[in-house]
Amino acid sequence: MKILKLTFHHIRRSPFQSMVAFFTVFTCFFILNSFIFVNRGLSNVLNYFETKPEITIFLKDGLDEATVKSVGNTLATYPGIKEIRFISKDKALSLYKEMNKDNPLLTEMVTASILPASFEVSTFNPKVLEVIAQKFSSQTEIVDEIIYQKDIIQSLLTWTKIIRSSGIALISLFITIAFIVIFTLIGMKITNRKDEIKISRLLGASKFYVKKPFLLEGMIYGLTGSLFGFILSFSVIYYLRDTINFFFQPIIFVPSLTIFEPLLLLAEIFIGIFIGLSASWLGARRYIKW
Amino acid sequence: MEIVFDKVTKNYGPINVFRDLELKIDPGDFVFITGASGSGKTTLIKLILNQIKPSSGDVMVDGKALNHLKNKNEIDKIRRKIGVVFQDYQLITDLTIEENIGLSLDIIGYPSGKIASRIDEVIKMVKLQHRHFLFPSQLSGGELQRACLARALSIEPEVILADEPTGNLDPANAWNLIKILQEINEKYKTTIIMTTHNMDFIESLDKKVIKLGKKEHENS
Repeated sequence: MKILKLTFHHIRRSPFQSMVAFFTVFTCFFILNSFIFVNRGLSNVLNYFETKPEITIFLKDGLDEATVKSVGNTLATYPGIKEIRFISKDKALSLYKEMNKDNPLLTEMVTASILPASFEVSTFNPKVLEVIAQKFSSQTEIVDEIIYQKDIIQSLLTWTKIIRSSGIALISLFITIAFIVIFTLIGMKITNRKDEIKISRLLGASKFYVKKPFLLEGMIYGLTGSLFGFILSFSVIYYLRDTINFFFQPIIFVPSLTIFEPLLLLAEIFIGIFIGLSASWLGARRYIKW
Repeated sequence: MEIVFDKVTKNYGPINVFRDLELKIDPGDFVFITGASGSGKTTLIKLILNQIKPSSGDVMVDGKALNHLKNKNEIDKIRRKIGVVFQDYQLITDLTIEENIGLSLDIIGYPSGKIASRIDEVIKMVKLQHRHFLFPSQLSGGELQRACLARALSIEPEVILADEPTGNLDPANAWNLIKILQEINEKYKTTIIMTTHNMDFIESLDKKVIKLGKKEHENS
C-alpha cells in the first residue's frame, strides 16, 4: 500500500483530531501574516517620513505679503534646503478639495478663509528641520503651528517596536502550541495503531517504515496549515487593499504583489513543514517502542 | 534458510518452557512441531521471529544469532524472508484482506506494478476470490486463517512459520491448506515449520516431527 494512501487513511480515521492540528497551524500562520502585513505597512509609513524630511509651518492669518516673503527668505538661508513651497490659502483650499473630491459633504462648507497659509520645507538633512523648528516656534506672532516629523517618526518607531515584539511573542506561542498539538496528536494516533505497528514490524517493516505515515501526516498538517493560512490572510489583505491605502494616502500601506509574496509563501511552507515534521518525528520517536 | 536452536532455554518468570533445546531445521524441510498445550510451540515460533528473546542459548537463523545481531535492521531483513501464519491471525482490522496482503508486499519492497497481480494469485491459491475485498471482522475463522496464509505466501518466503494454521478449519479445508503448503515446499523448496495438535496430518505425511515437552526429538 502506498505510503500516502496509508497516511490519508490515518487522517480520515480521526478527522476531528486532524482538523485540530490543521487549524492550530493555520491560525499560527494567519497571525504571522497579519503581523507581517502590519509591520510592512508601518515600515512603509516610517520610510515615507524618513525619506521626506519635512516641516510644515502654518502662518497666522492676516500677515502682510512682506512678512510672508521675509519668512520665505529666512528659510532659504538654511543649508541643505531641498525645496520650499508656499501654500497660500487658495492653494490650501484647492488641495483640500482635491483630497476630498469623493466626499462633497466635507468640501461644501469650507472656504479659503478658514484654511491657514503655510510653508512646506523639505531638506536633505533631517537635522536642519530641528533647527528650523526651534527658530520659528519662538515667533508666535507669525507662526500659528509647526508640524514636525520627528514626533511622528518617534511615535511610529515606538508603535512598530511594540507591534513587532508582541507579534514575535504571539507567534512563538502559537508555534509552540502547534508543535505540542501535533506531537500529542501523533502520540495518540500511534497508541491507537499500536497493533498495526506491531504487526507491520513482525512482517519485517523497519522502524522508519512504520514511522513514515506519521511523519508524512505531520508534514501534511504543516503544509496545509501554512498554505491556507497564507492564502486566507493575503486574500483578506488584498481584498481590503484599496480601502487601507485610501486611509493611509499618500502612503502605500499595502504595496502591490511583488516577488516578496511568493518567496514568503515558500518560506512559510518550509517553516510549516518543518514544524509538522519535527513534532511528528519527536512524537514517533517517543511513542513507537516496538 | 537454516534454523538452529543451540541450547536454548526459555523461561517466563519462574515457569520454564524448555531447557537446552537443540534442533536444526535445514533449508527445504517440512517440519511438524507438536506437543501438549503450553509445551512451547508458539514460543518456538516467536523465538525464530525474534519476537521474544531466549533466556539463554542462541537462536540462529541463516547463520546469524538473533540475540547478537549488531545491526538492528538485520532482524527486519530476516523477517522479510519469513511468511507467518499466526494463531491469532494478526491481520490489520481496518484494512481489507487484499490491503493486508498488499501491505506485506510493500514492506518487502515488491515491485508496486506487480502487487495487484500477486494478490490475485495468492487469493486464488487459498480460494478467497469472493472475500478479498472484505475486512477481517467480516470473515469466519477459517477464512481468516486462509487470508493469513495468503499473506504469508504472497512474499514468496524462504520459510513459512504456521502456528496452528488448521485450528479453525473443517477437515476438507484443513487438508486443502496442508496440500498448499506441501506444494509450496516441493515446488519452491520453501522451509515449512508448522505447529499442530492434529495427529492425522503427522501420521499421514512422511515429515520431520519435533515433539516439545519431551527431551527427545523424533524424526519420522
